[in-house]
This record gives sequence, structure tokens and C-alpha cells, in this order.
Amino acid sequence: MNIDDLAQLEPLKFETRRHFFSKCAIGLGGIALSSLLRGGSELSAAAAESSAASGLKRTHHRARAKNVIHLFMAGGPSQLELWDYKPKLVEYSGQPIPESMLKGKRFAFMDSSFKNRSTLLGTRRRFDRHGQSGAWVSELFPHMAARVDDITLVKSCATNLFNHAPAKLFMNTGSGQFGRPSMGSWVTYGIGSESRDLPGFVVLQSGPRGPRGGAVNWASGFLPTTYQGVPLRSTGEPILNLSTPGEVSETRQRRTIEAVRQLNLARLVETGDPEISTRIAAYEMAYRMQSSAPELIDISGESKATLGLYGIEDGKPSFARNCLLARRLVERGVRFVQLYHTNWDSHGGPGETLETDLEKVCHDVDQGCAALVQDLKARGLLDDTLVMWGGEFGRTPMGESREKTGRNHHVDAFTMWFAGGGVKSGAIVGETDELGFGAVNDRAHVHDLHATILHLLGLDHTKLTFRFQGRDFRLTDVEGDVILKMLA
Amino acid sequence: MRPEFNKPRRTAASNSSIPLVLMLLLSLDLQIEGGESSKSSKRPTEKHWAFAHPPRPAPPLVSNSQWSRNSIDRFILARLEKERMTPAVEGDRVTLARRLFLDLIGLPPTQSELDRFLRDKAPDAYERLVERLLESPHYGERWGRWWLDIARYADSNGYSIDAPRSIWPYRDWVVRALNGDLPFDEFVVSQLAGDMLPEATLEQKIATGFHRNTQINQEGGIDKEQFRIDSVFDRVGTTGTAFLGLTIACAQCHDHKFDPITQKEFYQLFAFFNNAEEPEMPLAPANQIDQAARIEAEVVSYIKDIPRKDPAIWNRMLAWEQSLTPAQRQAQTEQVRMAFDVQFPLRSEEKKLTALTAFIEQDASNKSHQSDISKKRRQKPAIETTMILRELPEPRDTRFFIKGDFTRPREPVKPGVPAVLHPFPTSAPPNRLGLARWLVSPENPLMARVTVNRVWQHYFGRGLVETENDFGTQGSLPTHPQLLDWLATEFVAKKWSLKSLHRLIACSSTYRQSSRARDELSAVDPYNRLLARQSRLRLDAEVVRDVGLSASGLLNRRLGGPPVFPPQPDGVMSLGQVKREWKTSAGEDRFRRGLYTFFFRATPHPSLSVFDAPDSFSTCTRRLRSNTPLQALTLLNDSGAYEFARELAARTLLEGGATDTQRLNYAFQRCVSRAPTANESEVLTALLKDELKELSSTPPKIQSIPGPNGLNATEFAAWTSIARVVLNLDETITRE
Repeated sequence: MNIDDLAQLEPLKFETRRHFFSKCAIGLGGIALSSLLRGGSELSAAAAESSAASGLKRTHHRARAKNVIHLFMAGGPSQLELWDYKPKLVEYSGQPIPESMLKGKRFAFMDSSFKNRSTLLGTRRRFDRHGQSGAWVSELFPHMAARVDDITLVKSCATNLFNHAPAKLFMNTGSGQFGRPSMGSWVTYGIGSESRDLPGFVVLQSGPRGPRGGAVNWASGFLPTTYQGVPLRSTGEPILNLSTPGEVSETRQRRTIEAVRQLNLARLVETGDPEISTRIAAYEMAYRMQSSAPELIDISGESKATLGLYGIEDGKPSFARNCLLARRLVERGVRFVQLYHTNWDSHGGPGETLETDLEKVCHDVDQGCAALVQDLKARGLLDDTLVMWGGEFGRTPMGESREKTGRNHHVDAFTMWFAGGGVKSGAIVGETDELGFGAVNDRAHVHDLHATILHLLGLDHTKLTFRFQGRDFRLTDVEGDVILKMLA
Repeated sequence: MRPEFNKPRRTAASNSSIPLVLMLLLSLDLQIEGGESSKSSKRPTEKHWAFAHPPRPAPPLVSNSQWSRNSIDRFILARLEKERMTPAVEGDRVTLARRLFLDLIGLPPTQSELDRFLRDKAPDAYERLVERLLESPHYGERWGRWWLDIARYADSNGYSIDAPRSIWPYRDWVVRALNGDLPFDEFVVSQLAGDMLPEATLEQKIATGFHRNTQINQEGGIDKEQFRIDSVFDRVGTTGTAFLGLTIACAQCHDHKFDPITQKEFYQLFAFFNNAEEPEMPLAPANQIDQAARIEAEVVSYIKDIPRKDPAIWNRMLAWEQSLTPAQRQAQTEQVRMAFDVQFPLRSEEKKLTALTAFIEQDASNKSHQSDISKKRRQKPAIETTMILRELPEPRDTRFFIKGDFTRPREPVKPGVPAVLHPFPTSAPPNRLGLARWLVSPENPLMARVTVNRVWQHYFGRGLVETENDFGTQGSLPTHPQLLDWLATEFVAKKWSLKSLHRLIACSSTYRQSSRARDELSAVDPYNRLLARQSRLRLDAEVVRDVGLSASGLLNRRLGGPPVFPPQPDGVMSLGQVKREWKTSAGEDRFRRGLYTFFFRATPHPSLSVFDAPDSFSTCTRRLRSNTPLQALTLLNDSGAYEFARELAARTLLEGGATDTQRLNYAFQRCVSRAPTANESEVLTALLKDELKELSSTPPKIQSIPGPNGLNATEFAAWTSIARVVLNLDETITRE
């Protein structure tokens, strides 16, 4: 008998809690109660604050997507080597930058590294048209080239901040400052998660190092920490302290946790503190995670064909393996999965060249990305799952010469792609000028992308709010328009 | 002009439940944001409340004069009466005792300490307990941590390399200063400019470690000046947050968007901090320091002498250099890496010696040299060091940086303070010491308010001003403005004595209320802003550990000294870019208070961070109180937590009495200070029965693990489960 069954057998205690919560009139308490009664996994907000305003757990309108998988290409991939084919840039390669393009623009390292020295840089990569949509894709993405009819390419993405850590925060939270909730936190706060056994927001990492900024990228900011992303470790135990101490059997562990639950419940009734209901739920989730997390990462049951599709080499942590885990996570009802892969920072210095290093990092991700879209589609999961791919910004049409060739950070135009979850298949949204400096139509600012993602999940970005320090905050701040052209 | 960031703005739609005063402020903000031309002309002209000197309000009259014990209570009660609310009943004596122990010294009462209080029937028993606790050396540990959060204290350099550093003498100074109730104004001056005080003492110099708690980037190829400037930026921002409660750091790149602080004023403050050297100070008598230096010099000449006798050593050294993996290379000190980076024929003598020393000390082929060297070094007295600030004789040139970018300096800037605050005295020296004295001047409208508010926040879970780090125009208004001002002026009148402030708060009736939820309040004051009851507060990360140590009886109460290495899960240290060693402490150091756990910024001890210990990257003026499954996993499964449970079980069997009931009471009481209710006993008794049944009927592997002190293995294992349960209770890690 598991803890949930036990709970069902204790109507009296639940009656007591029902009584308490009804008297208490804290909206949050109600949510916690329903979650406990259902054995659901929304560890509802402990901080009772403002939950009444927006602890929705239901959508504003019909959702097109249930889950999100965000493939975060940390460092800023060069759209000009990958997706945004600019023959004119090749033609003018080596020439000075037209003054009109620079006016009023700001770039990282603006004075120190290139203003007077750099010139336009045409790509040296071969581009071809692919699929029904005829989208241009570079030779660096052979697998993704075969999937262009499943995705919408947005070539007119724009952001505000041009340094890595703040720009990553901006892509995640809509703000460059610390302390705001990330997208995954907003979404799980807004509509909860369908996973009973795993956290609603899970983070996976691959590449030579972690993303700059680290845990703030998936922090819940002023939202209760229940909604923060939980990183799964790629080696060893996926979560620290996941295993029961060696000499404690599974039954004994369960019995211990059950006694903790009963005593905490008694204390909840005694004190009336909703924080205790959150703790009870946290223990239940912790207990379930002890078996669900090892089961999740055990991919030995996956077929040879599936492993081959992703290009997974036995047991080794990799981006491809994380893509497969992402599929397994959404299969298990996890709402928001974020994969970080480093390093896309192609300045031209050691380890950052557009020549060999970009090729390597593209190779790291290409097959996994394509396999994920294909696998989700084959399993009928793509309709409900929004997959998004992109970095925190793009790269300049100008070259940057360090030891070898690179490009600098660019905020005014970069490419992201989206698949499934109610976005068009085989579409291209937005277009940049012929040198790739900025969008000439359908500019898709980060706030607009956030608004669109929430829209697909059935949430109105102007209504998903949290009152903090006397103000209602949103993921999109006071900006953001849904990009209608992306919608299927 | 395009704004750099989209700073939050308010929309009319989101104002619905914001008080009128705030609405007015909001509309002003909208005007500020809406315009395109010069910002300064659009700032609110009336002085923001927090920039005006606090008046001394008289405590209001209240109708229920019985309830009030001191002036705090009259302010709180007056507001409650205005809202037709009544205060809660007083907490029971056990709850109050445990609350006081946890709040004042961060440890739960031992049974004898508790009994002493419960037996004391004198009318001032409570007040005398407060006195005893304020006199306890553990008071300084508990409240020292409060200050170390603000000081962003850690034991490593941060950034990606995150090498260990020695600055724990500063931590111990904080503990000593608080235990001695050093007046807060002196406490501040010592930390900001102790080195510049006339006849500065060793203690005052150690105190300047406050602003050495910035990160140091030791990556290769960086521009050192860039990171020196970054740490000065941090010092300016931290000074603003810590002592003024203002977001001055916002003005690094542009004029503050909401508060009257210009970018130029940011650099005027920067100028105060830009003139310090950042040395390490040895902490030993001069003759010992000399002796140590002499022995190091002997080692240097020993190594210098090696190639004379053994010229082939150079070739072996170069071969060794070549053989290093990138990770091994990265692990070398910056000096060594810089030596490696120069081709051998071009290396200076000094660089050759640096590389040779690394080779001699690290490579196994040099065993005999190594033993000669360590023989010499054994004579060397161990000298601890600590990081301090030391003012340069000639100030550095400080310039305004365009957009906060150090590569874009503009005109020179002289030290100065924001015009909106009290003036900098013309007679004061325009340096760090002058700034420190300006901050603690009685004219400063902010420091006392900001400080009392942060102390208050620890006792009630929320400050009188909720935005404890922002007293500017974007901050929230105080819930009890008069009380805040009264406390601030009282703090100054009591010669900045923190202990007096603690005494005042801890002895108030407001503080002594029960924390039970009250149905009748849930609709009118769901967040308990008016304090018609106390609040239950989950304990701070270090105190969660301390309670486990104390309940299990493992606690080592020794004060101070170098940081220690309690057990932690495998694999934590490999999460950083450079894998640092974590050599688990043996003996009593394994059981020191959480305050003393070595804090690596890049890879903090997981049981601290999971309970929201601050990351120490920047100043932290309020901790979050999260409540997550990861905390449950830590308390259930962490090897350190399990060790507490085993020890509590053993102690219960050995000392807890003869019957199960006595033993259950004993174990329960050690965790939460009270006896279990009948219902609670029943749950635990049932668990004990089930455990014993399973453990004795099945042939468990448990029986091969004998209990300590000859305890019966089955019984010990069953009681370990009981101990795990009580150590995992919400109440155990909560201040009721």
C-alpha cells in the first residue's frame, strides 16, 4: 500500500484538514488540499502570498501545448552559419561595415575589440534548400535539414542584453536582473504539472561546462521555490541524497516517511500553518522521486532503434542522451524541461572558432535535436509538446579576429526554431536585412516569444501575474505580443 | 534615447489593490518613464519618507494597557485596536523557551537548560533567560551569521577557479564583536575603515575583511584591473545595500531610474573605495613572522641551488611541464601558469625558479628534495593569515565610466556622497574613514532604520519595511512607520547597542505571542502584517544542522577557528570547474556548528544551499525560506543526517529510560523540547512495533551491523527509525 492509498483510508484526518482549510479561507490552502487529496504533485505555494490572484492550475483559454522542451544553446549560436543565409554578406565579405547599419547600435566589447578593425564576414558554410518549405539550412545541420518541414524557423528574434549571463537571464525570465522567476517556474506556477512523481520543471545539462549564471537561470525568483527547476545530474545519482541509507529497506523507508506524514499532519491541524501542508507534499514527492528518478534515467529499456535514432553511445552523458531523457520526462507528465548545451560562444579565440569549434558543437546537438522532434512525432507527443531551440542572442554580421575567426554577440537578429505544440510546420517567420543586421519584418522580441509560448500553453501573458513587493509581475513585464504568424 | 533595460513599470491595470499613497508614487513613476528628456527634472520633489531624518514618535496610548510590556507593544497594539483586532495569547513557556534559544543563540535548549527555566517561577524568569542567552558566547555565532550574510562571507575566491582563501579570522572577529556588544557604529567604522583609524589595532585591521569578501577571478588571461574594478563596484553596491538600504548599484551604468542617485554620484562613492590595496595580513607575533620568512628564504635558496649541482634538472622539468594534462595545468597557481606560458629560453630567472619550484614540489621524482624541504618547513611556525584592506598613500585616479564600462573612462571624479542624503562634513577627510564616519553619523536617516528593520525581520519573518534591501521610492512602505522610527531612534539613543535592541524585541509581548493561526484573522490579515500573532519560521540552514547536532548530542560547542569539513555526498566537489579537495573532518571538527562549515562559493555544501543559505556572490539581506522535496531528501537520506539519527537512537537507548514511553518522550523532547501528545506517541509506538517486528522476523542485513556500545542490533535499528522520524518533523526545523 503506498502513501496515497493510506491517505484515502483516512477520511477522518482529511475531513479535519478539509475543515481547517475551509475555515482558513486561504486560497492556497485550498489548492494544497486538492493536491493532497488527489495525490497530485503540485506542491502548492507555501508562501500564501498572492496565490489567490493567480494560482490558476487551469488555463485561460484552450491550450495547444501541454509541455515545453527548451533546447537552450548556451553561448549564442551563429545564425549566419546555421539558418540565416546571406549571400550578400558573402559578397561584401571583408568590406567595412556600412555606417548606416551601426548607427545607434551597441555591441559587446564595442570599443575594446572591434569597432575600428572589423569588417563584414560572409559565411564560409555551404547552405542548401530543404524540404517542402525550401528553407535554407547550413551543412552543419544535416539531420535538422531533414526536419525543416516539422518546424517553424523564426529568423527575426531580438533581445536587449548582450552579455552572456544577463542575456540568459533575460531569455529565461524576461529581465536581466536577478530575482525574477524563469519561464519554467511561471508555467508550473500557472498550470502545475501532471507528473505525480517528478518535479514539474527539470533541467538537464551537457557540454564542456555549465551555463553562465548557473542556477539563477532556472530559479523561481519571487515565486515559491516549489516552482524552481530541479537539475538532474548527468553522472552518479541524478539527484543528491536520492538513495535511502544503505541499511534501510524500502519498507522501512516508506514506514518512516508515513510516520513523519502523520505527525506533520497532526501539527498542521494544531497550528494551522499551510507551510506544513507544503512540507507534507514535499515528503511525498521526495519519496516518489526515490524510485521515479532512477527509473527515468534508466534507458536500458529503450530499443536499439531509438538509441540509434538519437545517436546515443552507451551510458555516456551527452546532449543526445538528454534529448531522450527529455522525451521520457514529458511522457511522465513533466511540464517544462530545459536542456542546456555549451559552448556556442564563437568569438574566434581558442575553443571558440567558427571553423572547428562550431562544427563540433553543431555535431554535438544536430542528431539529438532532429531525433527528438522525430521521436515525439512518431509517438504522437509532438502535438502536445512545444520544442524550442535557440541561444540567448545571435552573432554579428561582422567578423571578429582573435586567433581565428569568430563573430561577436548580436542582439538585433538571431534565429530560433519551434516545433509541435500548436506552431506551424514548415514555416518561416520573420526576415532580416540582406546583411543580417536586423529584422525587416515580424520582429520577434524575447517578450513576444514569451507571450507566444504562454499563449500556446493556454495562458494569457497579461493575466499570469504574481503580486510581489506591491506590484503585479509578469513574465513579459509590460511588453509582449503573441506572434500570430507562428500559430498553426 | 533607448533605455538599456526594460525596467519594471506599472500599468494602471495592476494597481487595483495598491494603497493610495503608492498610487501617487506610481503615477509619478509613469511620468518619469514616459518622458524622453532629462530625467532629473521629473523626480518627485517632495522628500521620500526614508530620506528624511526619523522623528522620535511618542508611543501611542492604548486601551488595553495590561498587555503592553514595552513601547513596541504600544505601537503594535494601537494599530491592532484601530483595526478592532486583539493580540494573540502568549505562547506556552516551553515554546517561548525554545523560541528564545533558537532566535538568540541558534541552538535549542538542552533538557537541563529548559528545566532550569521551567522551574524558575520568579516573575522575571523570562527576562533573566533573555539575559543569560545574550551573555552566551553562542549569541555571537547566531547573530554573527546574520551579519556574515550581509558581508557575503565565504571561504573561497569564487568565479570559476574558486580556490580556497583564508578570511575566517574576519568571521571570528564578527562573532567576538557581537558577543562584546561593540556599538554598531564602531562595528561599521571598523569594517569599512579599521585600517585607517589612528593607532589601528590588529582587531580593527581584521575587521576590514568585510570588503575583502568580494570574489577574486584567478582565470588565466583576464584583465586584472577589470576584476579589481568589479570588486570595487561590489563594495559600493554592498555599502549602499548594507548600510543605507538603497539600490545604489543601479547607478553604475546610468542615473538611478527611480531614486535620486545619479551615475556621477555612484562614481563619487566609488572614489572612496578605489584607493585600497588588498593584502593578506599574517596573524602572529613579529618574531614568528620573521622566523617563517627566514625559513622560506632558505627553501628558495635550496631550490635555486639545485641546478648548479644537477644541470639536467631543467630538462626533466620541461618534460614534466609537457606531460601535464590541461586540468593539471589549470590547477597550478596563476604565477606558475604564467611561467609556463613563456618559452624556456625567454623565461626570466624568476619565472624559471617559479616553474622549477612547482616541479620540485609536485613531481614524485624529486622525493629526496621534497623531504629536505619539508624538513626545513617543519621548523616553520604555522602562521594564519587574513585578508584586509590597506589604504594606498597616494589615491588612484577615479573616473566616471560611460555605461559602467571600465574601458570607457571619462572625466575624473572626486569622492562625494549622494546629494539627497545628509551632507558630507567639510572638515572630514575625503576618504574611506570619512565615509564610514559619515555613514554612522546621527544625521544619517537610513542606517539605524535599515538595521533595526533587519533585526526585526529575524524575529517576525518580515521587516516593518518588507523590502529590507530597498528603502528607496520603489520599496514598500513600512507597516508601522512610527514604530520603525521609534526603534531607530531608540537604537541610536542606546548607543547603538544591538543587545539592547534584541532585549527590547525579545521581551515584548508582541514577540511572546503564540504563533497559532487564528481563524478570525485569516481574512483581514492573512499575511500577519499587523502582528496579531507570532509566525512559525523554518530555521536557517546552519541552524537546521545545529538542531540535528544538538538533538543527537554530537554537537561540539567550540568557538571559532578555521572552517571545517563535515561529511557531504560524493560528487559535490566535481560540480565546480576545478575539482577542489574535501577532506572530511575527523573527530570533533566533524560536529561543529553550521557556521563553521567550509563554504566554497562554486560548490557550497548541499545541505546548506538546499535550505537557502546565501550563495555569497553578493550581499544577502534576507534569506528565502523554501520548502522542497530536496530538503526532504536531505533530512531523510544524507549521510550526515543519518549519522545524527543513529547517534540519537543510541543515546535514547542508553540514557532515555527503561520503558518505550520514556524513551519516546526522550527522543521527541530532544528534537522539539516538548513531550509528544497521546496521538503522537501512538504513531511512534506503532512505528516502533512494526519496525521491531520486521527487523526481528526477516533476516535483515541490519543484524550484521552491531549497534554502538554493545546495543542490540535489532533494537538499535528500530530506534534509528524513530530518531529519523523525529529529526524529520516540520516542528524540529521550525521556530514555533
